[in-house]
Amino acid sequence: MAASVPAVRAGTTSTRESKATRETAVRVKNKRAHSTYYWMVWPAVIAFALFHTVPVITGVFYSLTNYAGYGEWNFVGLSNYVNLFKDDRVLQAYGFSFLFAIVATVLTNAISLAIAMGLNAKIVARNFFRGVYFVPYVLAILVIGYVFQFFFSSSLPKILSGIPLIRDNILTNETWAWTAIVGLAVWQACAFTIIIYLSGLQTIPRELYEAASLDGAPAWRQFRSITFPLISAFFTINVVLSLKGFLQVFDPIVALTNGGPGTATESVTLLIFRGGFSGGEFAYQTANAVIFFIVITIVSLFQFKVLQRREADF
Amino acid sequence: MRHPTRRRGRPLAAAVLVAALAAVGGCASGPSDDATELNFFQFKGEALEDFNQIITDFEAENPDIHVVQNQVADADTAIRTLLVKGKAPDVITLNASGNFGKLAQAGVFHDFSDDPLLDTINPAVQDIMRDLGTHGDEVNGLAYVNNADGVIYNQAIFEQQGLEVPETWNELIEVCEKLKAAGITPFYGTLGDSWTAMPSFNGLGAYPAQGGFFDKMREQGEGVGKASPVSFEKDFATTLDQQAQLYSYMQDGYRGKTYDEGNAAFANGEVAMLLQGIWALSPVKAVNPDIQAGIFPYPATEDPDDRVLVSGVDVAVTVPKNGAKHDAAMRFVNYLFQKDVQEKFAASQNMIPSVKGTQISDEPALQSVKPYFDEGRLAGFIDHQIPPSIPLTPTVQQFLYDGNAQAALATLDSEWRKVAARTIPVTGD
Repeated sequence: MAASVPAVRAGTTSTRESKATRETAVRVKNKRAHSTYYWMVWPAVIAFALFHTVPVITGVFYSLTNYAGYGEWNFVGLSNYVNLFKDDRVLQAYGFSFLFAIVATVLTNAISLAIAMGLNAKIVARNFFRGVYFVPYVLAILVIGYVFQFFFSSSLPKILSGIPLIRDNILTNETWAWTAIVGLAVWQACAFTIIIYLSGLQTIPRELYEAASLDGAPAWRQFRSITFPLISAFFTINVVLSLKGFLQVFDPIVALTNGGPGTATESVTLLIFRGGFSGGEFAYQTANAVIFFIVITIVSLFQFKVLQRREADF
Repeated sequence: MRHPTRRRGRPLAAAVLVAALAAVGGCASGPSDDATELNFFQFKGEALEDFNQIITDFEAENPDIHVVQNQVADADTAIRTLLVKGKAPDVITLNASGNFGKLAQAGVFHDFSDDPLLDTINPAVQDIMRDLGTHGDEVNGLAYVNNADGVIYNQAIFEQQGLEVPETWNELIEVCEKLKAAGITPFYGTLGDSWTAMPSFNGLGAYPAQGGFFDKMREQGEGVGKASPVSFEKDFATTLDQQAQLYSYMQDGYRGKTYDEGNAAFANGEVAMLLQGIWALSPVKAVNPDIQAGIFPYPATEDPDDRVLVSGVDVAVTVPKNGAKHDAAMRFVNYLFQKDVQEKFAASQNMIPSVKGTQISDEPALQSVKPYFDEGRLAGFIDHQIPPSIPLTPTVQQFLYDGNAQAALATLDSEWRKVAARTIPVTGD
């Protein structure tokens, strides 16, 4: 009965097999992978548990208390969670985060796909352009954020002084400040998304396009029927990663508006950070973080489910 | 098969570690003889040199005490961590903000009630400390130097236009109108840095906050609203109107300008006034050392005698409760509060010393607020009384953008209710 398992194993262990059959314990030991593989896996698992899983569980624990980050505390049951749903500031932050994430995800993917197709074509100085489009990913977003902030508050108002919205510094406009943040976030996020799309486009065999053009399919039809279906796995991963990343938006907001004007551009993560650390409501915002974690998990799983259904296999 | 170079790494790492430990320990070790070593927790980066000088002088007089200054970056967090670990520093300086009050309420600081030192300090200043919060009826900290929050004005422009320092609200508006008519922008607004909306909010809001407004707010807790005896909607409408009125005299584009731009513009004489505190003087003087600037309190009243100056305790000094080195620590504290030591420190930091009878430096801005300290016409910063989880600064900033006072005050009331409802006090401590 044990024979079927060693049969699929690699040949390296099978030579010792005859010796080991005498003692089951020894054989089982030999059947295991070389210890090197354990050295590859275990440290990472331990580090992950220590620095990620344990803090998460600690956080869930504190979300059931009235801990302020220091000093004494008591258990307060689920009242932090109940209060969260009564807090319009929290609900507004969720609204902002989702609006921002959806708009930014759509823009990032549309723009990146277009640029990736351009960079995949036989254009002059292709590698140079590929390098240029990757630069935003390398730069620290806070640094770029402050450059953008200067751009929005000082340069643009002078360049486009004819448009009242921009002349008065769009970052101070309660209704439209978020669009400036989308601009910065998309500009930065495109770099990495382009790379993934590029690698996707390179997996498509050239012959398919040749065959299609012989059949007289126009460019748009080729994109719709060949390119897009064949890179749909890359599309899925890009959309899921972008949405997840944009839902957790933090640095671009800190650099551009710091949540303002008022609380108009306050994302969930910024609210957690502000309320929890400077606001002294550690436990309350930890409860918020737990909810946010659940929301992001559900959204990502849902996306995978919907998008994977329409992925093409080849 | 180990490579020889691999083994060499370990002794090297150990050597580095030892060196690092020695370096860390080095900060704390001084003359290793039997001198008592005091750990001095100091939050103010710009005061590092001044305190070093004070410590050198103190140690010369007191060779049996060695003071180690630990200047920390994020003091509010650092002191919490130290207190939680039971490693309270021997002498502590902190900015007397709402956070200081919370720590004091927790009963971690010494009670100075019976200390003769307390009688030497200006009682009006000490009242500001008390209002932040104390453990029972104790006195948990001593005010060291104070700042002043008011309207900074260019004395040369005022003189040239024949203007007097306004003493009532109408006079202030009159001054603004006259400046405007003379083609001078009255104020420079810097709403690009949202916190710069707060000095004027604090200065004007000190008036409705008189008479225990915040005590009543805390009593009402979840019940704060239109129907309650006190609320932001009821009592702060005038304050916001006044603030909006001042902002109508700002330069064009005040919404996007920053604090530094404002200081530079004021220093260069582009505007006549700034809605800032005394702390803005150093950056202003860095741009134009010759500027003659004074400060007057917000005259949000019709009776000149009702004017109050908003002042905060910039540096408060305290020692931990039942500290192991209490006697030595108190000797250092007493030295800090010697008149000449405090005067020198305050002058260097552009602050007002707290001990009665000390001389304020010749700086015209400091001299202009001196009478308020002498007469005790002071009020604390109201934002120290508002829980930090309420988004006060963003709300005030938004109000200055859209002018909707009603919405801003309703937000503050509703945030107050929510925070009161979800703040569950720790029981059985």
